[in-house]
Amino acid sequence: MPQRIEDRLRPITPQLAMRVAVLGGIAFVLFGIVFFRLWYLQVLTGQEAVTQARDNRVRKVRIEAARGDIVDRSGEAKLVSTKAAAVIQLVPSKLPASVREDAGKYQKDLAAAERVRLRYQEQYDAYRRQLADDDHKATAKEKRERARLRKLAATAPPVAVPKVRPNETDLIKLYERIGRVLEIRPTTIHERVIRGIADAPYSNVTIRTDVKRYEFNYMRENADLFPGVVVEERYIRRYPQGEMAAQLFGRVFEIGPDQLEETKFKGVAPGTRVGQSGLERTYDQYLRGTDGYQKVVVDANGRRDDARTASVKEPKQGERLKLTLDSNLQKAGDAALAKAIAASSYGAKAGAYVAMDPTDGSILAMGSRPSFDASVFARPFSQSTWKSLTSEATGEPLINRATESVYPVGSTFKPFVALAALDGRLIKANDIVNDTGHWELGPQKYQNAKAEAMGPINMSDALKKSSDVYFYQLGAKAEGHDNLIQRWAKRFGFGRSTKADVSDQPGRVPDRDWRQKGYEKYEKCRKKAGLAYQSQAALYECGGIDKGWTTGDNVNLAVGQGDLEATPLQVAVAYAALANGGTIVRPHVAQAIEDGNGVPIQEFHPKPLRKLKIDKGDLDVVLGGLRRAAGEEGGTSADVFKGFPYRVYGKTGTVERPPNPDQSWYACFVKDDTNRPIVVVVTVERGGFGAETAAPAARLILSQWFDVKNREFRAGSDQSN
Amino acid sequence: MPRVWRPRLDPLLLLASLGLVACSLIVLRGATRDDIQGDPTYFVKRQAIYALVGLVLMYGVSRLDYSRLRELRYPIYGVLVVSLIAVLGLAAATRGAKSWIPLPGFQVQPSEIGKVLLVVALAGFVVERLREMGRQTTARVMLLGLFPTMLVMAEPDLGSATVYIFGTMAILFVAGAPWRHFAALIAMFALSLTFVLVVAPKVGVELLKPYQVDRLTAFLHPSADPGETGYQQAQARIAIGSGEKTGRGVENATQTKLDYLPEHQTDFIYAVIGETYGFAGCALVLSLYALLIWRALRILTISKNLFGALIAGGIAVMLLYQLFVSIGMNVGIMPITGVTAPLLSFGGSSMLATFLALGLLHSINAQARETADRKGRATVFQ
Repeated sequence: MPQRIEDRLRPITPQLAMRVAVLGGIAFVLFGIVFFRLWYLQVLTGQEAVTQARDNRVRKVRIEAARGDIVDRSGEAKLVSTKAAAVIQLVPSKLPASVREDAGKYQKDLAAAERVRLRYQEQYDAYRRQLADDDHKATAKEKRERARLRKLAATAPPVAVPKVRPNETDLIKLYERIGRVLEIRPTTIHERVIRGIADAPYSNVTIRTDVKRYEFNYMRENADLFPGVVVEERYIRRYPQGEMAAQLFGRVFEIGPDQLEETKFKGVAPGTRVGQSGLERTYDQYLRGTDGYQKVVVDANGRRDDARTASVKEPKQGERLKLTLDSNLQKAGDAALAKAIAASSYGAKAGAYVAMDPTDGSILAMGSRPSFDASVFARPFSQSTWKSLTSEATGEPLINRATESVYPVGSTFKPFVALAALDGRLIKANDIVNDTGHWELGPQKYQNAKAEAMGPINMSDALKKSSDVYFYQLGAKAEGHDNLIQRWAKRFGFGRSTKADVSDQPGRVPDRDWRQKGYEKYEKCRKKAGLAYQSQAALYECGGIDKGWTTGDNVNLAVGQGDLEATPLQVAVAYAALANGGTIVRPHVAQAIEDGNGVPIQEFHPKPLRKLKIDKGDLDVVLGGLRRAAGEEGGTSADVFKGFPYRVYGKTGTVERPPNPDQSWYACFVKDDTNRPIVVVVTVERGGFGAETAAPAARLILSQWFDVKNREFRAGSDQSN
Repeated sequence: MPRVWRPRLDPLLLLASLGLVACSLIVLRGATRDDIQGDPTYFVKRQAIYALVGLVLMYGVSRLDYSRLRELRYPIYGVLVVSLIAVLGLAAATRGAKSWIPLPGFQVQPSEIGKVLLVVALAGFVVERLREMGRQTTARVMLLGLFPTMLVMAEPDLGSATVYIFGTMAILFVAGAPWRHFAALIAMFALSLTFVLVVAPKVGVELLKPYQVDRLTAFLHPSADPGETGYQQAQARIAIGSGEKTGRGVENATQTKLDYLPEHQTDFIYAVIGETYGFAGCALVLSLYALLIWRALRILTISKNLFGALIAGGIAVMLLYQLFVSIGMNVGIMPITGVTAPLLSFGGSSMLATFLALGLLHSINAQARETADRKGRATVFQ
């Protein structure tokens, strides 16, 4: 047996000793490193870690504040209130990327379809304008073309919602599960998801609001079956008055990423729902309220540890917005407008009215038909709902025709022409003009409605009977007087925004410059495209202004026709200035912000925009004419107001709107012997003569305001413009 | 001379190991109370049983003459390789990562026990070829060490694989392999690391799983990825730091209690100690480890033969490496590799393997003293 190796060796050699020393040295260094690292972490910077650890486990969970109510001027009628409801939502970021892609594509397609529609809309408008400008009656062929364009402009081509991709099996299963619980078809859920993301890409998509208690509980308890589903109690808006003032309120949904930057939404947390349009947007800072929060202890998996104590800061409901609207007057106004529309023998469907306090611009009632049930805002829109709100076929109920639709205003414009003419010394109030029913300007023939001859009349008579011939001549005389009529119209607020707290349109006061520019643009565009003058192609391509300004344009303007466009609210503001002696008020629907107990926090008294200098004598002439029109035998609306116990100043208007039937207007006010002055403007599209539909509706509104007993809808017989 | 029975356990080494086990049990009791519903002592009970079994194993091994194992180097190496291959085979059968061999009643993790087997077998091989400590010996020993390393890496258990490499190199080092061999080895290691991490992925060959690369590189930039690996490390550092000087106590240790600290019974147990008992607790554990390493190196120097010195050296380096990497990843200075802290982390195989190693150390110690007694002289530096 060989000798064992280890017995021959010395246990420790110098080399081994050295190597062990090296190992020991390494060990010493490593321990040193760890020691100092611990010293650094625990002793030197431990305090920071303590803070971090504390932040780690306490999360602030936002408690949504209820939005403030919106009430009428009495504070009793709630127009918009809030209630808690269980909602089921899907979080877009938790859905497969393909869904977001499809939604993005859908949104692009929608925008493209809308661009197509807008193009047809432009063509239709241009074509219509040209037909109206032409002297001859439209031929059958032209009518067909017009009808074709009108149809194309009415609704955008339909865009199909992309179907769920068949390889997204998890998503399909999720839809099916949700569908079974909520009794919604999976395809409907998918449509809502796509449309929701396309509408507001960063917000959760609401699948269903007002979910039943047991459905809510089931989904909450089985959260793992519903990935990406948020089951929450949220506040939803309620609209107890249904259709009343539905166009005013606007929508509320989650703040977008861009909006977070806006000063208006300073300090608003992402995910907060804010007012996105209408009053909800304008007064969002008051209505929004202050979110509360609960500090909860959470573990690393985000589970709440409810056994541990945490603090709660209760949310504060938003303030109450008190409007100037009088809900009773509003009801009466809505009913009156509905009656006027029903009374029209020309198939009227749409109209609007405004009732305003002429002293300060408080809007007492404002309505637009067709309207819609505001409750649709409480829930996500379906495509058909959205379509029914915005398509021309249904009359675009979402549009507030009182402030967002512009029309020629017809004879209601005459008082301002009269003031301009007196101011410009074109005529004296008592100068007599012989109205033969006809008037010629060169080859162009003008006439009164039905060519009725009114005989020798002065200015007051012309307003009373609404003589067109009288005002045609003023229009022609005003030509070359440095836009005399236009300047006065603009002073009264035509052609510019009323600066109201609701969205409005500025309308247009046509003048030489405007028309000339449009014409130059037409010519330039036409020549560039090599199209023939006044050809159909040029019309579609380059717009409808194919002629420059002529005196005829001023003649048309003098009777509120032609290119003049204004909203009913602008007319109301202008008439308020007649009633109050020249003050251009700033119309508003918000009266005050109140706390929960009805104690006002802030009142809104918007300053008048300006004060006009109107010669007292001139104004009296015009007021006299308006008073006689409504209160003297032979006045245009006298038979409508027969027996009305207050002194009404009123002016009818009948606008020719080929190819459609005439549009009926009435503008009036009551200012004498009352501490509740009011100006009322009513217009009915396809309503016929002013006295026929608009004036009787105005009378009903005044009857409600002044508590007059006789409430029959009394159509007037006057057939003037 | 009749052999008198004397329990020749090294008292300081025993003290260190018992101290660490005690710390482990105390920490586990606090940290894992809420982990298994209805059984607050699930981990503590098991860890105590492992420790007891380990202690018995250690005592048994310490009574044996480790020198005998030299003759068994081939069977030992064989067992090591076969068990590692068996693990891989099972993993393939179940189509998943697995490092366990299920046995009736319990499971063993061959890679843990394998650390000790590898050290013993390699020490045997080196002693055999000691007279020719040339390049060839170094290369052969490295190859013998790398084969099981590869097997472990394939499990995949990157942490244990690095332990194997360091154990192998430690044996070569203690055996007196020339410095230039180590320089060459380190250069090769650096080259292969570059290859694995940089070159291979560039040409489309993924030798490491993505999560392994993440783990290895996350500590270099902890804030870059707070979601995954970086998150764990950040939470561990918050836990340790928030313990400050004396700790937050079991009740207030929110990082542990609320599960912010992942794997708090194994990989991140040191962070639990840091949060619960603060700098004081960390320093105590660190000194127990220092004591352990010191005793291991001490026993290396008194070993009666080179075989014992090699075993002691291998074990000392493996323990040092494991505790440094484990604590290092807790305090954020080392990558997360899944290396457990010896005697501290929960786990039966690790516990048994460590006690097996300690038993060998005690045996080397006992043999050295017996020889010294027989020769009638005291060892040089007692």
